[in-house]
Amino acid sequence: MKITFPYMGSPYMYEKLFSLLGHEVITPPRPSQRTINYGVKYSPEFACFPLKVILGTYLEALELGADTIVTSGGNGPCRAGYYGEAQKKILQNMGYDVEFIIFDEPKRDWKTFLENVKKIKGNNSWRQVIKTVKIVYDMAKSMDKVEKIVETKRAYECNKEFTKVWHEITEEYRKIESSEDVKRVEKKAIERLNSIKICEVPEEEKIKIGIVGEIYVVMEPSINGNIEEVLNAYGAEVERSHYISEWIDFNLIPLPFYKEKEHQILKKGEKYIEIIIGGHAKQSVGAIIDFMERGFDGVIHLKPFGCLPELVSQSVIDKIMREYDYPILSLSVDEQMAIANVLTRIEAFLDVIKLKKHRKRIAR
Amino acid sequence: MKIGIPKALMYYFYYPFWKTLFESLGFEVVTSDDTSKSILDIGVKEAVAEICVPMKVYTGHVLNLLDKSVDYIYIPRFVSLRKGIFMCPKFMGLPDMIKGLFDGIENKILTHNIVSKSTDISEFHNYTVFIDKLGVSRKDLKNALKKARDKWLEFRALNKQGYDINELLTSDKPKKYDGDITIGLIGYVYNVYDRFVNMDLLNVFRKLNIKVVTFDMMEERIIQRQLKKFKKNMFWEFTNMLLGTAYEFMERDDIDGIIHITAFGCGPDSILEPFLTIDSEKHKKPFMTLRIDEQTGESHVITRVEAFTDLIRIKKYKAEKSVEGVI
Repeated sequence: MKITFPYMGSPYMYEKLFSLLGHEVITPPRPSQRTINYGVKYSPEFACFPLKVILGTYLEALELGADTIVTSGGNGPCRAGYYGEAQKKILQNMGYDVEFIIFDEPKRDWKTFLENVKKIKGNNSWRQVIKTVKIVYDMAKSMDKVEKIVETKRAYECNKEFTKVWHEITEEYRKIESSEDVKRVEKKAIERLNSIKICEVPEEEKIKIGIVGEIYVVMEPSINGNIEEVLNAYGAEVERSHYISEWIDFNLIPLPFYKEKEHQILKKGEKYIEIIIGGHAKQSVGAIIDFMERGFDGVIHLKPFGCLPELVSQSVIDKIMREYDYPILSLSVDEQMAIANVLTRIEAFLDVIKLKKHRKRIAR
Repeated sequence: MKIGIPKALMYYFYYPFWKTLFESLGFEVVTSDDTSKSILDIGVKEAVAEICVPMKVYTGHVLNLLDKSVDYIYIPRFVSLRKGIFMCPKFMGLPDMIKGLFDGIENKILTHNIVSKSTDISEFHNYTVFIDKLGVSRKDLKNALKKARDKWLEFRALNKQGYDINELLTSDKPKKYDGDITIGLIGYVYNVYDRFVNMDLLNVFRKLNIKVVTFDMMEERIIQRQLKKFKKNMFWEFTNMLLGTAYEFMERDDIDGIIHITAFGCGPDSILEPFLTIDSEKHKKPFMTLRIDEQTGESHVITRVEAFTDLIRIKKYKAEKSVEGVI
């Protein structure tokens, strides 16, 4: 069984999980133009962009010899919950003999769920499995913690160092084997990041941007035009509304304490979108309000072209902008996205924010 | 009091229900005008650019109703019509979307959640909002719902006998149409029956002497039987119905070909698409996708339908000949 999985954000957590459980893992390559071309060619034209990119990464992983795809299902009504089924149909029709292990909520189909768990568990003892899951969870937490430092500090770097160091750090994470390793790597990483030369900017000139939207395009830099790096390069601090460890907290850990943050965000979105309509539409709107209350200067809303839930949030974003006079930039991501277009729009957006801040200062 | 119902989206499926419901409660029901260029243009201008054309049309109809000085515009929030199955997220966020697009429209919107066990949406608990908002008594509401339900079931029964919805909604003496070949038309009611958006597709078929069968003419138990083939159903009620109907069409000999009519940017249909294209080929059933949007031209629709049905006729003709031993 050669396992592969969807590529989102850092692939090392999934890689670690399966390899520590003793499976052979084929890590898909980072999505590139080739991946996108593959995905676009074989997906339905109007399927959302993440489906296309993920199909592309599967095809590349299959070329590398993978024969089993492990992915998650969902309860809808966002299309993402049905990706697995649709991609299975497409790949089978293309003649690939590939096994899909789709993890749906257990209550949907207990039998399949247990069978799937058994397949992943292999010959490991339950103790071993729990230990492994714990290591991977610690790793996810720790990587997100370090990445948040990068996203903030990179805005003020004197020489272009952070990105390179961050890549080296992720390689270090890739090598870990225990929770102690995670702590060790994290400590070293933070020390390294703190030693990078920073060109300080006066507090009142600092710009903070929040990124909200559909989880895949927010978390996957290779398809959103490296938006965080771009914003950092323009001198803006960045924070996302999605981090994998927070997703795990909310979706996979059945303890109320871990869900607190997400519930608060949802509550903030309630005024504009009353019920959960699938995907992260309500969270996106809630996160915009949250960023605003926390004093961020503006928000960038990312969504794949034609995303069902995010189109509803986009419909209410204009209202939020009018109501609070708050800058929000909504960008659609798909295979047609041109980097120059994105750069121009971001530049203009940041100019608006700078001008606004400047005027406020003068008024004071 | 005047209650406005936009002539778009679920209007085509539930209008008899809503009309009877509000009229039995003693309100006047006003519908927006038929979809026209001006309604569509307003919708295109006001709605989010990327959204599918049915939603743009709906936005246009809401504005059209505002001009008619109605007291309320009825925009229900369809959440679920079957346990575990939802509607498209845009339906679930429809009132929010309309509120987001126009300032100060909140007080004009009459909305409530519809969570039901089946497409029969007459369950009382869905409508309790009306008691305070419209000032009706529980008893009247219950009676009105019952009346509305009866009316709607009557409408659906005729619909299932093969009368199309436009006939049933617009004429007192509905007619059935026949033809020498039969096309299974897969598409949501608001794409199939909105004459302006689909360039009067049903009439195009009629002129070409083609009989059309749609999902709303199918018995629901047949659709559900087909859906059992799937380990995991799709999340959207009407998409599931299209899926089940399409598989039924593929297996039936009296259906000569399948046309899937879909709106540009329809999300659920993009997931439905691979299933239909791949499996109709396996079943050797001619299949075509007809995509419509605000830029669709009439000749485009006619040309494609003509070409498709010509091929079907040739195929059918040849098959008949070869049975007779001529070829």
